[in-house]
Amino acid sequence: MDAGLLVQMLIGALLGLSVYLPLYCGQLSLATPGFFAIGGTVAALLSTRVPAFAGTGATSPLPALLLEMALAGLLAGLLALAIGGTVLRLRGIYLAIATIALVEILRVFNLNLPFTGGALGIFGIPQPFDSTTGYAGFSLALLAVVCWLCARLEQLRLGRAMAAIRDDELAAASVGIDTARVKLTAFVLSALLAGLTGALAAHFLNSWNAKLGSFDASITTLAFVVFGGSRTWLGPVIGGLALTALPELLRPVGDLRLIVFGLVILLGPVLFPQGLITPQLLQRLGHGCSVVGQGFSGAGRRLRGRLSGVRRP
Amino acid sequence: MSAPPLLAVEGLSCRFGGLLALNNVSLAVQEGEIFGLIGPNGAGKTTLFNAISALTTPSSGQVLWRGQPIRHPRPDRLSRLGLARTFQNLRLFDSLSVRDNVLVGLHRFAASPLAAGLLGTAGVRRRQRQLEQRALELLALVGLEDGADLAAASLPYGERRRLELARALATEPRLLLLDEPAAGMNPAEKNDLCELIRAIRDRFDLTVMIIEHHVPLMMRLCDRLAVLNFGERIALGTPEVVRHDPKVIEAYLGSPR
Amino acid sequence: MDADLIQLLLNGLSLGAVYALFALGYTLVFSVLGVINFAHGAVFTLGAYFTYLLIGGQVGANGLLSGLRLPFSLPFVLALPLAGLGSALVALLIERVAFRPLRQRGADSLLALISSLGAGVILVNLIQLLMGAESFAIPTGTLGALPVALSIGGARVRTVQVLLLAIAALLLVLLSVWLEGSRSGKALQAVSEDPVTAQLLGIDSDGMIRLAFGVSGFLAGVSGGLVGLSVSIAGPYFGISYGLKALGVLVLGGLGSVPGAVLGGLIIGLAEAFVPAEWSGWKDAVAYGFLFLILLLRPQGLLGRPLGTKV
Repeated sequence: MDAGLLVQMLIGALLGLSVYLPLYCGQLSLATPGFFAIGGTVAALLSTRVPAFAGTGATSPLPALLLEMALAGLLAGLLALAIGGTVLRLRGIYLAIATIALVEILRVFNLNLPFTGGALGIFGIPQPFDSTTGYAGFSLALLAVVCWLCARLEQLRLGRAMAAIRDDELAAASVGIDTARVKLTAFVLSALLAGLTGALAAHFLNSWNAKLGSFDASITTLAFVVFGGSRTWLGPVIGGLALTALPELLRPVGDLRLIVFGLVILLGPVLFPQGLITPQLLQRLGHGCSVVGQGFSGAGRRLRGRLSGVRRP
Repeated sequence: MSAPPLLAVEGLSCRFGGLLALNNVSLAVQEGEIFGLIGPNGAGKTTLFNAISALTTPSSGQVLWRGQPIRHPRPDRLSRLGLARTFQNLRLFDSLSVRDNVLVGLHRFAASPLAAGLLGTAGVRRRQRQLEQRALELLALVGLEDGADLAAASLPYGERRRLELARALATEPRLLLLDEPAAGMNPAEKNDLCELIRAIRDRFDLTVMIIEHHVPLMMRLCDRLAVLNFGERIALGTPEVVRHDPKVIEAYLGSPR
Repeated sequence: MDADLIQLLLNGLSLGAVYALFALGYTLVFSVLGVINFAHGAVFTLGAYFTYLLIGGQVGANGLLSGLRLPFSLPFVLALPLAGLGSALVALLIERVAFRPLRQRGADSLLALISSLGAGVILVNLIQLLMGAESFAIPTGTLGALPVALSIGGARVRTVQVLLLAIAALLLVLLSVWLEGSRSGKALQAVSEDPVTAQLLGIDSDGMIRLAFGVSGFLAGVSGGLVGLSVSIAGPYFGISYGLKALGVLVLGGLGSVPGAVLGGLIIGLAEAFVPAEWSGWKDAVAYGFLFLILLLRPQGLLGRPLGTKV
């Protein structure tokens, strides 16, 4: 496979996970492209304007990339922390609208600030890797780490609290979960992930402009999660990989590809309301314990529990 | 002076639009009691529970915990103070397993630094095993230990009620609010439930507030009762006192005239 | 009055009226279903293209239908309502494929939001495929004998803008008269208040949902045609930015409130018109700024009902 496409797919998977984190606790945030844009802009500015990050000629040192990613994630996370308290008080459709507005405001800033290059954006972002293969390896490693962290998170107190809030926010509060705080944590983690992914993407794309964080991107990243499923981390990863590859694979059908893409978004919720990848599906595939890591509750135990029935008191 | 009551409600009113759901209700629940709340449909019983557990903001009046007013009440803060409740129309975490429902109830006791948790250090794993053990104990208490891995949504109604009870107990409450726990049960099951509530009270040294429509059951179970009608507290006292209160008889049987 | 001020006011009012029409389309669907129809912006775009074709416009060189032109050309006054009807049909189709299947299986309403996004993506790209990505201008001769510009209070204003404001205002009045005064309008309101009771009273709630989509599509199509006439059709995506800003209008006025949508539209339209020229790049942020402010201060919007949670 083309290494460039692979990198795009991996970035798609990372963005899918960023949308998934708030959605795992029931919060439909479409802000991911906004934070992605912040990350990309931070990296583009640092590596083209600040000599320490720029390296020599067209190349930049790898530690500079890591530092940019950290700073981009930090800045996106801080912004999420600052606005999260307000926007997360909103529910359902209100939250979705507010986050769309956030993405649009950030886009207008990106277009109009004196140092972000206007509509054309910033060009000639130096390359930390000699080849696309380098990017692919780096992105793959990053995705692996993020996936592992997400899988752990689902097992932890925080992950359980997130799932509880998704199922019933009021009941979750009644058993002592500080729901506002848990939602904010998920939102900040989502922003952080989108921000550092943006920094990576800016280098990979070699240029950065306001268009990369727009409403279109909100739809696309949301589609990753809807298509893949939001009940386990594997869903958005599969969704991100598949839907990023889809338009490329559909290149032979030419102009129809975006229409097919729209069909997938239209029919996805109708045909698979839970997304392609659900915990039940994983259990059926027999990977219940190893892949999702649902603790030691393997399929055998489950079966035994079902066979013996539930004893009455 | 004796110790202040565990929970006191003072002059509580709740107005929704033109409807006065609670009108100047006061009562106090002593430590260790089983305190019943009865009254016809729409009398404001659940609204009172919601106001106590900070799901509804009262229009006036206040709730005192051990004699102190609760500042900025929020459901999670009240849970940390020691208040737990069940819901009239059952609010379980349906996509989670039975065990995880109880584990969510143990949320407060599962705190660990996020980094340590993500890395799964030995201490975190040991703590996790303890919590799972605790969850199984609570499930055993309500007779659900064999179904720990089932999805909560798959349980039959009566078992869902008991799971909700186990989840509430997991928060280690001092005061447990039960909103119609016997709804939909047959007489035998209701008797079992009575026994279970008493056993839980004794074992956990709890105070219980309970809403239930089945008046004979409440007369047997409760140490004291309050009767609500049209948002007002019309009677308060031991079952014996309440049983003979003319206002209560009128509320349930209609005016003699 | 100052001529510049009149010009600005008229700009703001006509823009605001379009936002209001647009937002009312969202509102109608939202009040019966509790969902935002994200394909609404695409229906608006479609209305503009329908209008353009019906008055005899020629398809550009980019699309599959390159060079095509309808064998007839209608006057604008006929083309506009027909374009509205065409858009209404498409909105009904969207209801059929993107909303009804999910409603029938009682799925989470957020899923309908996503499937409607899908419908929007399909529509926009279908337009691009058939008509090409270029922008189209509706020729000035369309308005027949009407002069290009009028003089109002010393200010020279474009006739198109006055016309746009007048038609939008007329539609807004007709809509409120229909909602408040007619049997079907009242039935629609009943469904949005309490669908279960409405059904018990014998109101066909599926029919009302279709009605809401139809009227909403008509409004979107007509406002698309009007905007196309006034500022030209800037390619298949031009409805999207209106659609997003109308979300700001909606939240500012209060989700589900008809007078709220009108008020919100006028406020944002006027505010945008009064952004000074040297700050024009920031104009797009006005609606979203208002949106954030209102969410911060009064999440239910100016004329909305307080948001509550049911226990």
